[in-house]
Amino acid sequence: MEAEQQGTPTDPVELRGIRTCFGRTCIHEGLDLSVRRGEILALVGASGCGKSVLLREMVLLARPTEGRVRLFGEEVADPDEPAANRLRRRIGILFQQGALFNALTVLENISVPLKEQTNLPAPMIRDIAMLKLLLAGLPPDAAHKYPDQLSGGMHKRAAMARALAMDPDLLVLDEPGTGLDPVGADALDALIGDLHRSLCLTVVMTTHDLDTLWRVSQRVAFLAERRILATGTMGELSESEDPVVAAFFRGPRARAARGAAWNRG
Amino acid sequence: MPLRDRRLESTGSGPQSDPAGLVWGAGGGSLSLTGNWTTGALAGLGGMTGLLSPSGASVTVDGRELTALDTAGALLLYRVLEGLNGKAGEVRLVGLDARHAALLDLVTERLRSQGEAVSALSAPRRPGGLERLGRTAVDWGRESYSMLSFGGAVVLALSHAFARPARFRWRQMVAVLERDGVGSMPVLGMLSFLLGVVIAYQSGVQLRLYGGNLYVVDLVGITVLRELGPLMTAIIVAGRSGSAYTAQIGTMQVTQEVDALRSIGVAPLDLLVLPKVLGLVIALPLLTVFADLAAVTGAMVMSAMMLDVSPATFMLRFPEAVSINSLLTGVAKAPVFAAVIAAVGCYQGFQVRGGADSVGRHTTVSVVQAIVLVIAMDAAFSVAYSWMGI
Repeated sequence: MEAEQQGTPTDPVELRGIRTCFGRTCIHEGLDLSVRRGEILALVGASGCGKSVLLREMVLLARPTEGRVRLFGEEVADPDEPAANRLRRRIGILFQQGALFNALTVLENISVPLKEQTNLPAPMIRDIAMLKLLLAGLPPDAAHKYPDQLSGGMHKRAAMARALAMDPDLLVLDEPGTGLDPVGADALDALIGDLHRSLCLTVVMTTHDLDTLWRVSQRVAFLAERRILATGTMGELSESEDPVVAAFFRGPRARAARGAAWNRG
Repeated sequence: MPLRDRRLESTGSGPQSDPAGLVWGAGGGSLSLTGNWTTGALAGLGGMTGLLSPSGASVTVDGRELTALDTAGALLLYRVLEGLNGKAGEVRLVGLDARHAALLDLVTERLRSQGEAVSALSAPRRPGGLERLGRTAVDWGRESYSMLSFGGAVVLALSHAFARPARFRWRQMVAVLERDGVGSMPVLGMLSFLLGVVIAYQSGVQLRLYGGNLYVVDLVGITVLRELGPLMTAIIVAGRSGSAYTAQIGTMQVTQEVDALRSIGVAPLDLLVLPKVLGLVIALPLLTVFADLAAVTGAMVMSAMMLDVSPATFMLRFPEAVSINSLLTGVAKAPVFAAVIAAVGCYQGFQVRGGADSVGRHTTVSVVQAIVLVIAMDAAFSVAYSWMGI
């Protein structure tokens, strides 16, 4: 539906035959994954199965040993070529540790992508950065604080605001909920949902938070045995007969989260 | 800079190709929004929003020709509407796509909920010249005080360590000896050799005028052994090892490893500082002797080539010209220099707060302070030696 409105049938992300090896150990082998336009895709899997590495390959920060990466319909052979930079600009990334520039205030952090990539006048950049700060749910007085003066949750929100600075077509979130209290995590989930609806954003995230999976994600890709073992909605995956999938989605914690999701409606 | 090119380069397909526009309809009663109101396409509209002056009592803002809207565009649209509201009696917004309207609502809601706080907010004030001077003076005082107390703490910890040598981290100390002692021999040897060559050459040019070629031995021997050998060694080690200590401890401070050590019950001073101080105190005198040797060798080579002083003559003359006191007074300074370099390097490491930026700043400060203190100490030694008549 969204794809028709945008007029381009190409998927924002298309990974084909990805193989990633570190020395002799391979963490991905023959991995295929497509992210459709306008969806919220969650990438899940056990710790250490290579989710973050896959995300890094998706956003052109790392290069798979073998395989093709296509972003917005363009194939990227070499992450260092200038064409890759053009594609990177359409992607907003929330790093696991936030990765805010410590020497800059929050507002300056958010302004960096705007200053580097547009030629908007300075007052307007300030105005836009301030809006992103509010959109990410930060109080206005956080604007002139430095990252090391922020709590863990505010740090995450500031990083989110920077990821949103350029109104990216694709938002990549690496463990958005970690380090947040339940209220903060709920608010972040709601924010992701809001932004997705109003900006028809495509969102890819990795998460271990089962509540987030139930409430936010539209499609879940389960990474195990070095490839995408299963994709589907949370409902479908939790009904799966595959023993590996079932073990992940039907453990006691998974059942509790599902119950919570039903109760909330 | 590639950054600048990137900024001007068009993104090809999409947003930039159709810039955002505002067009007044006939009679000034309607305003239509055109093009892509997206981050990359807004530049042309930047300063215009405050200048809108509607002519009629009511304005209709027409969004039918709007092709795309993102949050930055919605913010600008909000500002446009806000500006019109102040001037025209009635502002109507028509023809906006449902999704665009939802986005405008989201932006409006966020801005309104924080509205007053945002407008009241301004960048923090920059302190004036006098205030900065005062603050710098106070900071200097505090820094000197805390450096002195750090020095005191190190001495105290050292005395505890001597009382119970079994608990001392000997392995770490041996690692320091290896990395900072043996490791700096190649560069130190090469530089000292060249230093010897240069001194012999420069003094030889003068001495030859008086036919006093042989006195090059006295000149080189005394200057190198008493002054330049120890000083050169200390400066190279400060640049090479002192900076490394600051960077190591500073990074550990940033990643909370220092806190982790403390929580496990290991005093960071015992593990991170004492082995370095003691290791360097042992290594620096040895390095100084090595540097002396290299420099004298350099001088000997130069003398043979330029001043017709053969190595045999040079070596015969050396013990006559240079007393053992020259060597000892030089080497005696080395442990003091070593203690200063190691202590300053570690102290600056512990002063790191925040992130990478701070590590870099303190590493610079560490090297500068260490070299300044070493040279000041050297001057103090000269005064003391002349009092003692050595």
